[in-house]
Amino acid sequence: MDLWHYVGIGFSVALHPVNLFYCFLGVFIGTLIGVLPGIGPVGAMSLLLPATFKSSPEAGIIMLAGIYYGAMYGGSTTSILVNIPGEAASVVTCLDGYQMARKGRAGPALGMAAFGSFIAGTLSIVGLMLLAPPLSKLALQFGPPEYFTLMVLGLTILIYLAHGSITKALLMAAFGIVLGAIGMDEIASTPRMTFGRMELLDGVGLVPIVMGLFGISEVFLNIEREIRRDIFQTKIRGLFPTAKDWLDCKGALARGSLLGFFLGILPGGGGVIASFVSYAVEKRVSKHPDRFGHGAIEGVAGPESANNAATGGAFIPLLTLGIPPNVVMAMLLGAFMVHGIQPGPLMMKQNPGIFWGVISSMYIGNIILLILNLPLIGIWVQILKVPYRILFPLILLFCLIGVYTVSNAVFDIYIMITFGVVGYLMKKFEYEGAPLVLAFVLGPLFEVNLRKSLILSHGDFSIFITRPISACSLVLALLLLLSPLIPALSKKREAIAKDEIS
Amino acid sequence: MSHKDTYSSLFWIAIGAGSFYEGYRLGVGDLHNPGPGFIFFWMGLIMIGLSLSILVRDALRKFPAGEMTSVWSGIHWKKVISVLISLLLYSYFFTTLGFLLSATILLVFLFKAVEPQRWRVAILGAVSSALVAYLVFYVWLGSQLPKGFLEIG
Repeated sequence: MDLWHYVGIGFSVALHPVNLFYCFLGVFIGTLIGVLPGIGPVGAMSLLLPATFKSSPEAGIIMLAGIYYGAMYGGSTTSILVNIPGEAASVVTCLDGYQMARKGRAGPALGMAAFGSFIAGTLSIVGLMLLAPPLSKLALQFGPPEYFTLMVLGLTILIYLAHGSITKALLMAAFGIVLGAIGMDEIASTPRMTFGRMELLDGVGLVPIVMGLFGISEVFLNIEREIRRDIFQTKIRGLFPTAKDWLDCKGALARGSLLGFFLGILPGGGGVIASFVSYAVEKRVSKHPDRFGHGAIEGVAGPESANNAATGGAFIPLLTLGIPPNVVMAMLLGAFMVHGIQPGPLMMKQNPGIFWGVISSMYIGNIILLILNLPLIGIWVQILKVPYRILFPLILLFCLIGVYTVSNAVFDIYIMITFGVVGYLMKKFEYEGAPLVLAFVLGPLFEVNLRKSLILSHGDFSIFITRPISACSLVLALLLLLSPLIPALSKKREAIAKDEIS
Repeated sequence: MSHKDTYSSLFWIAIGAGSFYEGYRLGVGDLHNPGPGFIFFWMGLIMIGLSLSILVRDALRKFPAGEMTSVWSGIHWKKVISVLISLLLYSYFFTTLGFLLSATILLVFLFKAVEPQRWRVAILGAVSSALVAYLVFYVWLGSQLPKGFLEIG
């Protein structure tokens, strides 16, 4: 009864004309940046964060969330038509999607990607609605030790799933925590590492760091080499998959939705891991695994539904615990904070309109996306043809404007450029940006909860192992960190990392 | 010294040492009452330890010939450097020249010098993009953008 009452509140918020407009804007921009290479959902969200300052919090968050799941839709278009993924979660769609396009089946591939995304996206929102309330109640019992150890576990999972070296990912997380601690100390009211700069008293901004690491550095990487994009020249017709296609895909859609949703909840997992795992599962359960890589429609349906289901799952730790499981959610946490809202167990009670409004808007957003992606596919194909030499100056301009309008400080532009260079070098030397950004966002919470726990326990570290939830979290984190020492597990992890890179 | 992780780990050792020193300077406190430098001190130490392990592992690794060249080979250095310098110059003159002028100059440069286009395309593209951005961000969204000496806006 309560659930339906709140769903009613949610839809009354989501269906407000202004919020509908922001929802449309979000999914439109999401699809656009999913189609365009060179700027991902994180960059686009940080770019548009200032645009939400003038809007109501719910409208702003609805738009930013729309960018996230919209990008998942858009990314599949480039994978299928150009064999270049628009964003990381659509990498695996290239394998069979592009092959289908080459065989004249671009229409059903695009159609199945869109329908699969819609079905999985909607199912994951139902899961989010059902799981979020009981988890919020449970989270109310959490104290500083539980929060601290959950953040340790979250960071550890992200580090474990990072491409390549765990040591490098750990190093990035430590650096992120240091960056997050810069500014005024909350407990002792002492300025820390501000080097006499007033701008740093409030800490380093999330937007300049994210835009530098994911926006500017990406431009540097793209202009240093010639990129050739050959759009597969084919007439796209028959976007509706055939009855046989649906029969072939029904299992893939169900499995992809379930896998994606639960992997999305895991910190660091998100759409990328979900799509890879789904592809591997589909290949394993298929009676004809040899068809995979040669245009099997299940190879499109599974991963596409998984990466969209993961977006719904990813909202659970953010909305119920206040802990973002991935960089995109970290960005969304920043947006909540800008509007004075603290996501977490109390959010559902304190801001039910925003909580349920954002969730309900995702249903509407999914319907808009279906309309945007099927009848308007021709427009996205045209946009694909815009050359990068025209795009990159515009991406840079929007980054420069976006970062300045958040704080009105030129200092932040310099920070963004610095992190652009750092991010560029990090990619060259195989260091990942995601652990850095997530640790940066979690850093202040991580520090405060650690210090509070130690003050509570009079300096006794056993507080972390005598409480069941924190003990479980620590044991899991430890097992993950030690797992590379077990050869079989280490090989499995390396295989996932290699798959993702290739 | 041609192992690529050697260079990066030395960089991170320096960053870790800076954090370690700042933590020590701010006051580490003790476990009963951690001080403001607690997190910097320990994270700095962890960074140094991790970087040292990368350094040692890299030093012991058998080096595949030409690894450094594979990272940097085939790169249009001029493009990356010129974009970087143009961004720095834009930031430096941003408040003096104002948004419209500085954005237009930057865009003309990026359209023309980095990936050469015809002058007409570069100038028209730059002016129209700067104007659209100005209308969207300054006029519609009400964002603060510097007017510069031309006092436009």
